[in-house]
Parts: sequence; C-alpha cells; structure tokens
Amino acid sequence: MKLRILLADDHEIVRRGLRALLEKHEGWEVCGEASDGREAVEKALQLNPDVVIVDIGMPNLNGLDTTRQLLQHDPHFKVIVLTITDSDQVIREALDAGARGFVLKSDAARDLVSAVEALQNKRMFFTPRVNDLVLAGFLEKGQTVSRNEAPKLPTLTAREREITQLLAEGNSSKEVASLLNLSTKTVETHRSNIMRKLSFHSIRDLVVYAIKNNLIQIELPPPPPKTPTGPGPAAA
Amino acid sequence: MTIRILLVDDHPIVRQGLKTLLEGHSGWEVIGEASDGAEAVEKAKDLNPDVMVLDVTMPRMNGLEACRLLRQECPALEILFVTQHDSPQMMREALEAGARGYVVKSNAARDLLAAVDAVSHHRVFTALNGRNVAELR
Repeated sequence: MKLRILLADDHEIVRRGLRALLEKHEGWEVCGEASDGREAVEKALQLNPDVVIVDIGMPNLNGLDTTRQLLQHDPHFKVIVLTITDSDQVIREALDAGARGFVLKSDAARDLVSAVEALQNKRMFFTPRVNDLVLAGFLEKGQTVSRNEAPKLPTLTAREREITQLLAEGNSSKEVASLLNLSTKTVETHRSNIMRKLSFHSIRDLVVYAIKNNLIQIELPPPPPKTPTGPGPAAA
Repeated sequence: MTIRILLVDDHPIVRQGLKTLLEGHSGWEVIGEASDGAEAVEKAKDLNPDVMVLDVTMPRMNGLEACRLLRQECPALEILFVTQHDSPQMMREALEAGARGYVVKSNAARDLLAAVDAVSHHRVFTALNGRNVAELR
C-alpha cells in the first residue's frame, strides 16, 4: 500500500517542487495539498494521510499551530515541519507542538525524503544542521535549548494564538470572526484578553509579538550593495 | 524557436517547482540552474540563456546586484525576478536594476508562464499580489 502524504505550503511553486521530489520515490503519493494551516487541518481530517508536511510560515494558521491542532484531533498524525529558520526557539516550539520531523526548506531537496522515510519507520528526523545546532547549544556554556530558559511570556490559548496571527496579518475583528465562524463580539472579547494578557496597547505591539514568536514570518529586503551600481535599466 | 532559461534561486525545492512549471510549456528549455547571484553571472556567461528567472534574496550575491552586473556582461539577456517581496518599492528597484519582469513567488504558478512569454518577447511584465498586473510593450 502506498504511503500517502499531505503537503501544506502557501506557495504553489514550493508545493510543486515538493511533489516532484516526493513522487519520484516509489510507493509514495501526494494525496492532497493545502495552501494554509486551516485548509491543512481540514484536508488531513478528510484524507487521513500517513504523513503531513507543513510549512511554518503559512497565512491564517501557521505551521506550528497547525501541528498542534492536528495532534489534538488525532495524536497519530505524523507531522514534518518545514522551516526557513533554525533558531533555537523555533526548534523548541516545533518539538513542543509535537512535530516528528524538522527540515530546513533550504535543505529540503536533500533531507525531506530521509525525513519521510524516518517517519515511515516510526523514527523522528531532524535536519543535520539542526542536530549540530542543538548539540552545540548543549555543549557551549550559556547556550542551552532547555525549556527552562525560554523567555517567560504570558501563555495564550490556541484560539488566542490563532486570533493573534489573523489580527497581525491585517484582518479586522469582523474579518477574523468570519474566518473562524465566530461572532464579532466573541473575537473582540478574545482581542481584549490578548491585549490585557500581553500588556499591549496597540495593534503594532501585537504585530511585533507575532513576528518575534513566529506566528507570522516576514522576509527582509537584501542589504544594499557594497559596490557602486552599474549602468541604468535596459529600455522597456 | 526554443526559449532557453536559466533558473536562479537558493532553494533547490523552489527551483524544482519552477522547473516543472516551465518545462510543461512546449518550446521552453531550462538549460541550467544557479543558487546565488555570483553563480548566476558565471552561468549566464557560459550558457548564454535567453531568459533568467532570478530570486532577490540569496547568499553571496543577491539578485539585484547580479542583475546590475548582468546588464553589463550579457546585455541581450532578459531578466525576470520571481521573489517573496510583494512590494512596489522592491519592484521599482528591480526594474531600475535592469530587469524586464517582476513576479511575486506566491503567485508564480499563476503568473510565471505569462511573464516568461512577455520578457522573452522583450516586453515588461510586472505583477504584485492581487494588484498592478501589467504587461507593457
């Protein structure tokens, strides 16, 4: 019987690349695709895949909360998290969320097949660069990935994290209510609770919090060139 | 006539996705790949492609720097940026650097074929997320 894989990434071009890579492997099939975390949860419940591959930086519901929701529905889901960053905090959160695999997007062409094979054989997989990083963290004084040293932040509930992400992505309370099938009043209550718990007074604070805590991810522009620039543009 | 394309992105999985999309178009051929701006410049000089599909944020040399160099080294080459940056400012910088096209990565599956077709015919193609889709002669 074929191993069935669900892919969740907001970039269709990445899903195409992942699909091409995975379907080269005999006995594996990509049974579905999702473009955000919410769709990934829905499709996983419908399709019951053997492995779910989720990108961390997805709109509406990020990959970490997707992993949490999936495992809340069914602890047997096997999730591999794909990420562009290998910071200690993200590794720790992925482990906390219950991911069984952690692969850097930049290394996916090399590591993803090994990760799926590991999960198929009831093992976990962490990309070698992450293993080195975790080991270095344990060996080097003052650099530990121990949970005890995580920054002390007020705990948001899963629903509050979900709403925080949606607000930080620029949705109004009304839009969040519509996305989550809640009343606007309920969302406003959650919003007040979030702001109170985090001692925030503006949506700007919330956006910064969401970025710092990997609820949303942004790509920074490249630094300016070190050398003087060449001639102007070609005629359009 | 075959359009020869060089793909430049630091993520192999993105190159793979772009390649499957482009090679589904008859008459287009992906003749090479590069993972940063410096490699892109070298390969463009070696392979002489018609179109380069170029990312902005890459290690060693970013896409904007590579684009400026390529304008001098390979003036006939048409450059199309495919990037995460859904930003009018970045788009302006890319066009000022000498690119002929600009497509946002999240919409690449929708816009890439039209964009490559346009730039290969020396037309400008720009498309930000959900707005500003423009093809100019």
